[in-house]
Amino acid sequence: MSARETVLGAVRAALGRPRPDPAAVAAEARALLADPDAIRPSLPLPDPAAAFAARVVSPKVGATLDRIGDLQELPGAVRRYLAGHELPHALTLQPDPALWRLDWTGFELREAARPDEAAALGRARWGIAETGSLVFHSGPETAVLNHFLALHHLVALRVADILPHLEDYAAVAGPAPRNLNLITGASGTTDIEGSYVRGAHGPAFLHVVLVGAPLP
Amino acid sequence: MAAVFQQGVARALSDPTLKLAIDRTTVTAERKRAAALADYPQFAAARERGTAIKDHVVANLDHYLDEFERNATASGAVVHWAADADEACRIVLGICRGAGARRVTRAKSMLGEEIGLPHALEEAGIERVETDLAEHIVQLAGETPSHIVWPALHKTREQVSALFKAAHRVPHEADTVEAMVESARRELRDRFLSAEVGISGANFLIADSGAVCTVTNEGNAELTTTPPRVHVVTAGIEKLVPSLAHAFAMLRLLVRSATGADLTQYTTFHCGPKRPGDRDGPEEFHIVLVDNGRSRMLRDAGLREMLRCIRCGACMNHCVVYRQIGGHAYGGTYPGPMGAVLTPALEGVDKARDLPHACTLNGRCQEVCPVGIPLPTLLRGWRDRSWKEGLVPRGVRSGLGLWRFAAERPWLYRLGTAAAVRAMRLFRRGGWIGRMPFAGAWTRYRDLPAPAGRTFMEQLRDRERGR
Ligand code: SF4
Repeated sequence: MSARETVLGAVRAALGRPRPDPAAVAAEARALLADPDAIRPSLPLPDPAAAFAARVVSPKVGATLDRIGDLQELPGAVRRYLAGHELPHALTLQPDPALWRLDWTGFELREAARPDEAAALGRARWGIAETGSLVFHSGPETAVLNHFLALHHLVALRVADILPHLEDYAAVAGPAPRNLNLITGASGTTDIEGSYVRGAHGPAFLHVVLVGAPLP
Repeated sequence: MAAVFQQGVARALSDPTLKLAIDRTTVTAERKRAAALADYPQFAAARERGTAIKDHVVANLDHYLDEFERNATASGAVVHWAADADEACRIVLGICRGAGARRVTRAKSMLGEEIGLPHALEEAGIERVETDLAEHIVQLAGETPSHIVWPALHKTREQVSALFKAAHRVPHEADTVEAMVESARRELRDRFLSAEVGISGANFLIADSGAVCTVTNEGNAELTTTPPRVHVVTAGIEKLVPSLAHAFAMLRLLVRSATGADLTQYTTFHCGPKRPGDRDGPEEFHIVLVDNGRSRMLRDAGLREMLRCIRCGACMNHCVVYRQIGGHAYGGTYPGPMGAVLTPALEGVDKARDLPHACTLNGRCQEVCPVGIPLPTLLRGWRDRSWKEGLVPRGVRSGLGLWRFAAERPWLYRLGTAAAVRAMRLFRRGGWIGRMPFAGAWTRYRDLPAPAGRTFMEQLRDRERGR
């Protein structure tokens, strides 16, 4: 008997009932998602974008925030950030045509982060106001390692792509990407005596640039 | 195991720094969890829902295993099944050998510890690089985790500093926690990028997509699973949830209960190997579904509820016994209240008969458990069982009968133990109770702190008053 049959056989024997009807199981699973407002925190501000902006700079996420009206202004915002941290104008840029199309004159650009990369810029597909999370799908335009290797993680996000809750993302996510990364702050650890330190393995700094109409 | 537990407790109680180290982390964890729940008035309803979600999965486990396997396979993953720990290790080692692995990176997984994977890798001569900071500390110390969320919680910063200075190529100079974390970052960076295989666990398995969810605050899971050519996941069969939305409902409970944050910094869903056009990611993606006693627990009405456990660690953070003795004294992979229920189930009640007794039945664990597991009731079930199976030594049986009678009547319990401690002081030799008529082995560990002249509960009350 294969291990698969052994395990599934033992599970079925333990449950001691005929195989369940898949439609009935699915209906029960759906019912368990009913009334999501009853089980999730409500947003502190009615506008999801405003709630997101407040959340990412709160100690819960601990990111810094900048706002620009249009993606064209992104190189300027990045320049400001790098200068503020006395970093050279060198950057790993997510292989996203919308980013590479911008005017990066004066920057040294790379597609893939090096092991000791100082700064990487990416574009999140969505933001989630409830948690202040940035959502990335891996793929030809998004390398996973770029979110993890650099010391400074810079992320552009369109205001229009901010969703209120985690379930709202689940509803629009579509087929699962190879990696779905929800990033909610910089890398941190409390493994030594419970004291919180940033930059454990991943980035020590997270900087979010909101792109679009000013927030209400 | 019985002897192991008693020795473990004795060692723990005589360790001058252990209690300090445990408190430094658990007190913070308790405070942060309380603050997180104060901001989440929906917690009670969410907890009920989470309990129902896990009960639904457990009741339909065959269905969800089938569905998960189908979808994971369609995503390009290879799904393996293992009935027990040995089989699981054999499968993982086979994959490592097939990949020609000399070095593997590992992101913390309690299931990996449960099946003895660290040891199996070592025996196979494969270099194992633990990437979670705490696991890295534990590996350098040649120890095992003492907590399921903070495996190195028993170590003081001074001890960690000494370990890093002895082992790291470019160790820290300043003795600050920041400098130590930086030292580990330097030490592990090139290892991440040079491993042939990365091994992770799973916090959730998503049935309707075949994806595997990992959560970390360090980002070490993604650095473990992305660069190597092969990613292996080992996961218990109870980790299933129907869909991403169900996983989100569970994550809200898990993270708040574990660390007091609302969500981990890095929450990742891994679905299959690298796809055409992908910039990075593993070429092979293996998932090993491990039973190792879980189907036995499923059969057992007195243990089935334990399959809801999402390994948040809240029960141990809030356990007065755990906070006195730490995780190692429990002798199994899983410490604290959940470990006292799980270890006899996984390793046999004959090997772990003392564990269910390492409990004051104060009910805190059940109160804080985010999936409402009635831990004290399950522990009582084990007590009854080891009794029936004649596994409890005679001296313990008579003492225990009395103790139980009293334990269920708190006023009598306090009175009785206070009297017992006073009586026991008569038998004390150099602060150590060597032998005592009637009580024997059992009281030797149960009431070991007798030198203080006060009972565990009395001391606890004083401490609580002092807070
Ligand atoms: S038993 Fe409950 S509190 Fe303890 S680890 Fe499991 S889920 Fe958390």
